[in-house]
Amino acid sequence: MAAASSVLLNLPHPARVRMGEAGAPLQVDGRAIELVRESWLVEDRWWTAQPLRRRYWEVVSTSGRNLVVFHDLSAGDGELGGWFAQVA
Amino acid sequence: MVVCVHLPRFELALTAGGAQALVGRALAVAPAVGSEQRLGEVSGAAEARGVREGMALGEALARCPDLALLPADPVGVREAWESALRALESIGAAVEPARAGLAYFETEPLRGLHGSDAAVIAAVRSASLSPAGARAKAGPSLAERHVRLGAGPTRFCALAAALAVRSRRPLLVEERDARRWLGGRPIELLGFRAETEPLLEPLQRLGVRTLGELTRLGRPALADRFGAAGVLAHRLAGGADAPLRARLPEERLEETMGVGDASSGQALERVLGVLVDRLLARSERRGRTLRAVTLSARLLSGGGWYERVVFRQALCDRDRIGLALSLRLLLLPAPAASLGLAVERFGPAVGEQRALLEEGRAARATRLREAVSQVRAAAGEDAALRAVCVDPDSRVPERRVVLTPLAG
Repeated sequence: MAAASSVLLNLPHPARVRMGEAGAPLQVDGRAIELVRESWLVEDRWWTAQPLRRRYWEVVSTSGRNLVVFHDLSAGDGELGGWFAQVA
Repeated sequence: MVVCVHLPRFELALTAGGAQALVGRALAVAPAVGSEQRLGEVSGAAEARGVREGMALGEALARCPDLALLPADPVGVREAWESALRALESIGAAVEPARAGLAYFETEPLRGLHGSDAAVIAAVRSASLSPAGARAKAGPSLAERHVRLGAGPTRFCALAAALAVRSRRPLLVEERDARRWLGGRPIELLGFRAETEPLLEPLQRLGVRTLGELTRLGRPALADRFGAAGVLAHRLAGGADAPLRARLPEERLEETMGVGDASSGQALERVLGVLVDRLLARSERRGRTLRAVTLSARLLSGGGWYERVVFRQALCDRDRIGLALSLRLLLLPAPAASLGLAVERFGPAVGEQRALLEEGRAARATRLREAVSQVRAAAGEDAALRAVCVDPDSRVPERRVVLTPLAG
């Protein structure tokens, strides 16, 4: 990184997620999920060539840990977007 | 001898994406956002339909209904022109820029370097054809096909020569021929000088068509009718002009940043804060203060905007620079896609005077700067960074905070 550049903080990183039929995460990075606390949709930049569409899930693992993951929905039709973890 | 470098329709060709795009098309640069509704430069095809630069938009569209308007891009034009000027300066020329697409310089100091006036002009041609920036912005065709070079004993004579050429061959007017040659040139040349431009219309109404006819009116008559502008017009037509005032070449520091969702309001001020941090952290600054900066923006609707800001005193304090610039952000005519901040002129590399009672704070700041310098020396330039909330309310978490250099 150059001295005069800026770096984004809190970039999402890939997560291994097993999801249920309704699309809710059942397991995140090997941790079983106890509870889904909240879910929300973020749609942004739809007016640009790089639209952003994410379904966020705030979940609690069986060990009591709070996690936020999102499913990237901006992939094209017929393609499955990845899952990512992030501090929301 | 003075050389005039003229790139006709510089802004229009740049905005249209190259000189070739102008051929046979009625094009004009649209009025800038938030300014008076008057056209910028127009293409030859538009001129043939009666459209003129500076014409009111409504009148232009009435005369030429299929006139295509291109969004004004003052920021892009400024960058491309700066690249061209730097290319000229790279051959050693002390350049006086008149406006985008028009510049002058003296050949005399360059003869020692290049040998003769003809060699200087050849060097100009090869230099102005290869500025990396202008090439990237305007495309090679702009310079290669449209640069017009004229040379004469004065700035005005060189301009007349550059406007007279119709090919890539430069026109050199010798001093002994200048007065006679200028006598046959049209008075429209006076329109290129801000001081004499208002004379153009009354002179045309009086039936004066050439500079020779203007000279024959006599200096007292022109002074009586037009005042100082008339005297100046007579001097110019007679082959006299003031010496060139070349600009001082200075290194240019610039930082730009995409605005993202923060296209207005406080979020924009935070982006500005990041730009100030980045500019102050540049090692090329070498501790110097900032005297004048240019704040620019590319607009979401297309085109750009810029504002030159001269500080009341040379500054290097982040907060004071941010405060001065944030007031200018209010002038932004439309939501921005990106912001840019460039140093126009540096001030002296001296610390600012502080009040006596702030001594403790100053000492702490000095110790902090020293600590930052030591951390950087030990762990690299990016070891000390500042976290800045750029858009804390963004729904996309990674857009909320950025790390930016900590001024040390």
